[in-house]
Amino acid sequence: MAEFFLELFSEEIPPNLQKNAREFFLENFQKLFEEKHLKFKKSGTYSTPNRLIVLFEGLDKEIKEKSEEIRGPNVNAPEKALEGFLRSNKITENEIYKKKNEKGEFYFFKKPEKIIKTIDLLEKNVPLILDKISWKKSMKWGDFDLEWGRPLKSILCVFDNKSLPFKFYHLESSNTTFLDKEFEEKKGTFRSFKSYQSYFKKIGIIIDQNSRKKLIENTLHKISKRKNLKLDINAKLLNEVTDLVEQPNILICKFDPKFLEIPKEILIITMQHHQKYFHTFDQKENITNEFFVVANIKDTKGFIKLGNERVVDARLNDARFFWEKNKSQNLIKQISKLKSINYFEGLGSYFDKIQRMRKLGAMISDEMLISKDKVELSTSICKIDLTSDIVNEFPELQGIIGGYFADSQGFDKDISLSISEHYLPTGLDGRVPRKPFSVTLALTDKMDTLVGFFGINQKPTSSKDPYALRRSALGIIRLLLENKKEFKISDLINYSISLYRDQGFEFPNANVQKDLSLFLIDRLKFYMKEKDIRYDIIEASINSFSIDHASKMYNKASALNKVIIKSVGSDIISSYKRASNILENELKNKELNLSNTTDPGIFKNEYEKNLYKKIHELRKYFTSINKDEDYQVSLENLADAKVTIAEFFDNVIVNDDDQSIKKNRLELLQMLCKTFDNYINFSNIESF
Amino acid sequence: MVSKKKKTKKPHFQSFQDTILNLQKYWSKQGCVIVQPYDMEVGAGTFHPATTLRSLGPKPWKVAYVQPSRRPTDGRYGENPNRLQHYYQFQVLIKPSPKEIKKLYLNSLNVIGISHKDHDIRFVEDDWESPTLGAAGLGWEVWCDGMEITQFTYFQQMAGMECKPVSVELTYGLERICMFTQQKKNVFDLLWNNEGIQYREVFHQAEKEFSAYNFEHANTENLFKIFDMLELEAKSLIEKKISLPAYDQCLKASHVFNILDARGVISVAQRAEYIGRIRDITKGVAEIWVNSQK
Repeated sequence: MAEFFLELFSEEIPPNLQKNAREFFLENFQKLFEEKHLKFKKSGTYSTPNRLIVLFEGLDKEIKEKSEEIRGPNVNAPEKALEGFLRSNKITENEIYKKKNEKGEFYFFKKPEKIIKTIDLLEKNVPLILDKISWKKSMKWGDFDLEWGRPLKSILCVFDNKSLPFKFYHLESSNTTFLDKEFEEKKGTFRSFKSYQSYFKKIGIIIDQNSRKKLIENTLHKISKRKNLKLDINAKLLNEVTDLVEQPNILICKFDPKFLEIPKEILIITMQHHQKYFHTFDQKENITNEFFVVANIKDTKGFIKLGNERVVDARLNDARFFWEKNKSQNLIKQISKLKSINYFEGLGSYFDKIQRMRKLGAMISDEMLISKDKVELSTSICKIDLTSDIVNEFPELQGIIGGYFADSQGFDKDISLSISEHYLPTGLDGRVPRKPFSVTLALTDKMDTLVGFFGINQKPTSSKDPYALRRSALGIIRLLLENKKEFKISDLINYSISLYRDQGFEFPNANVQKDLSLFLIDRLKFYMKEKDIRYDIIEASINSFSIDHASKMYNKASALNKVIIKSVGSDIISSYKRASNILENELKNKELNLSNTTDPGIFKNEYEKNLYKKIHELRKYFTSINKDEDYQVSLENLADAKVTIAEFFDNVIVNDDDQSIKKNRLELLQMLCKTFDNYINFSNIESF
Repeated sequence: MVSKKKKTKKPHFQSFQDTILNLQKYWSKQGCVIVQPYDMEVGAGTFHPATTLRSLGPKPWKVAYVQPSRRPTDGRYGENPNRLQHYYQFQVLIKPSPKEIKKLYLNSLNVIGISHKDHDIRFVEDDWESPTLGAAGLGWEVWCDGMEITQFTYFQQMAGMECKPVSVELTYGLERICMFTQQKKNVFDLLWNNEGIQYREVFHQAEKEFSAYNFEHANTENLFKIFDMLELEAKSLIEKKISLPAYDQCLKASHVFNILDARGVISVAQRAEYIGRIRDITKGVAEIWVNSQK
């Protein structure tokens, strides 16, 4: 057994490309070895910004291909068939023989046992695999033809402690690599990954990104604990920072506490997004002016700490300048500024948008039973922050900054919070607004957007959704479901269309209502799927109700999903299926017209009567419940009918010779199914 | 907040002008042609024909120069300590990109007082794109202790054409670098020379007046007309296959567009249209320039 060790040394490769390359190489070498039935004990892939490593330990040095008898063409087949057989196996006529089996007489060739050396396999396949990688973004340099994430400078390839030489474009592999990433002057020779890793460890470089990550994380926690600070480590940032350094050195730095006055979101974005720092909180969850920098070198002279502190001070100084300038600018007086900001070609300006939103919001406020005046006010000023310098600098803070403006200018908490939250939720996991004013504004904005873009036929395609309309639609679904609200969405859509029309925007798409409803249903399906609701249950609920009952659809499906594999579920489904199977069969075979009425007068036995009684009980239950339906209880009631239904089927033959009795019994079964369908269309549910 | 240091010894500062001189000397030693700034308003050092046009075609080329750059929208009337509508870039372009470019670059930092042994020099992904030039490249912004000091780019495309061979471009932000080496919080406090002349004395008035011009006084009606005239002139020169004067028209048009943008009279939809118009004439120029090189 031997070790296969590959190092690709390049100029600094960005973190996301490193990750892709690690995964690609590991996967493709594994695939190669599996295809060739080559066994190995351990595999791994590591990277630093400059080094990409693939490692296979305990790899077989050779593979035995067993001897086998290969059948060729029939002896009576045309000459050409035999020629082809010889050619494809690279053999001569001397090596074949004739043999009979039950199908006739054939030519055969005994392929001898063959030993393939792993080293030969690697020599041929390593360059092929290197060439196969597709970077998300790649480049060329100098006058070379090779494309790589960043300029590739050297290839180290070692198998069984020996150099495995091959050519790859203008490069040639060897058992050496650059020791210094800065100047690429010193070279070192390595015979194994172990010696390679320990060499770098000695000079402080950690090759394995997982160890680096752990080290960074542990150090952050250790220092925080000592300084009584709290962390909120962003997982993405941690991964990114891990792949940006090779010898992490964690520094705790401070910015001028006077900047703590500006909104914390600005501080966090500046530190996290722009500078890749880790911010901290005190024990009361207030942000502090202490932050962590993960440097890539020891700070022997203290310059690095100093420099980073100065940078963040300068950035925050800039931000504060804008914040101070913008926060006192009167929001109401600035509304007309929105006239000069184009919303979208064919949908008017932002001023047009907020005029529509005022009216649409007012309609929703009625449903939400909240102050219409306040909703109108918040819709009017919710987009003003788009004109501010601060949002221009920090576009990702749109809405949040508007909320701060409103707050600092003395608007109601309801209003400022609703502005701050009106772009939420932003995905499947993002936070959903809970306060009624926030829900209203968030719904209003999204509905106006969706109706507009659907109106001008800017619907998303399967691959493209440049205006994030899927996210908006999912936002509406989540706002409704997770706040347990049920609106007539179709009325909202219609009203929104009329608001566009009132402003003189004629939509080229005449089917907005239908298209958008289907789109919303599609997002609801997606949402249910993500909640692990069974596909047939999703289908059943979608087929049972319209988008106006989104919450009901979801809750019924969810309740059923919970019990479907338990006895309640199987009782319901088995009862229903027994009835519906007979019914379906009979309806298929003959011209039978059921009238939806059962005549209790011709019941012959108590089982029929009992079932009839049970159906009435259930019907009574379903007519008595209103909006406050407890879906769990409904399902239990249906399940409870099992005994009655089973007794009916065990003792009554539906297919009676007397046609009128038979018809009457079928009517009874149809009543039963229809009663069950009050909950959801059970015919869509599969029984297992 | 800058942590208070106990050390009292003041490090030796390099003045703004010495920084430029040292970079010029260094890159001259590396075989670069040292040219002077282009005599026209440009948005970045990249626009100098010694970069844009010379990065095209197969001929090797090494050049370095300082280029005053104008970004009308960044003007702050001289009131913001970090932003200027007129600032300096030091630009290096080498075609084809040499293997040892990273070493050359790190050594260049050394001559302006930044040792990579004492500072955290980081190459952070930054893919560069210039819609007006129809140009794109891959590379990094180079961070020094968390501050961006250089754009390091391998040109992949220029004026809509594939770059073969590939040039490497280094763009040093001179004011930022000097604020860093001189440890100043305000750009206007930078020492221009060793005789006590500050950046303020050289440029503060210009910042104030040009901000006023760019944001308030530029006659937009005329500028729109001028843009059209420049575009027309460029097209006619392209037809006559006179590349360099045609390129000058592109630069002028680009600056006029930037002023109009600062005046806030260009809508979102118009923006894309104007940028497209500049790109189109730039592409036209680049084509005839490349042909003229054969």
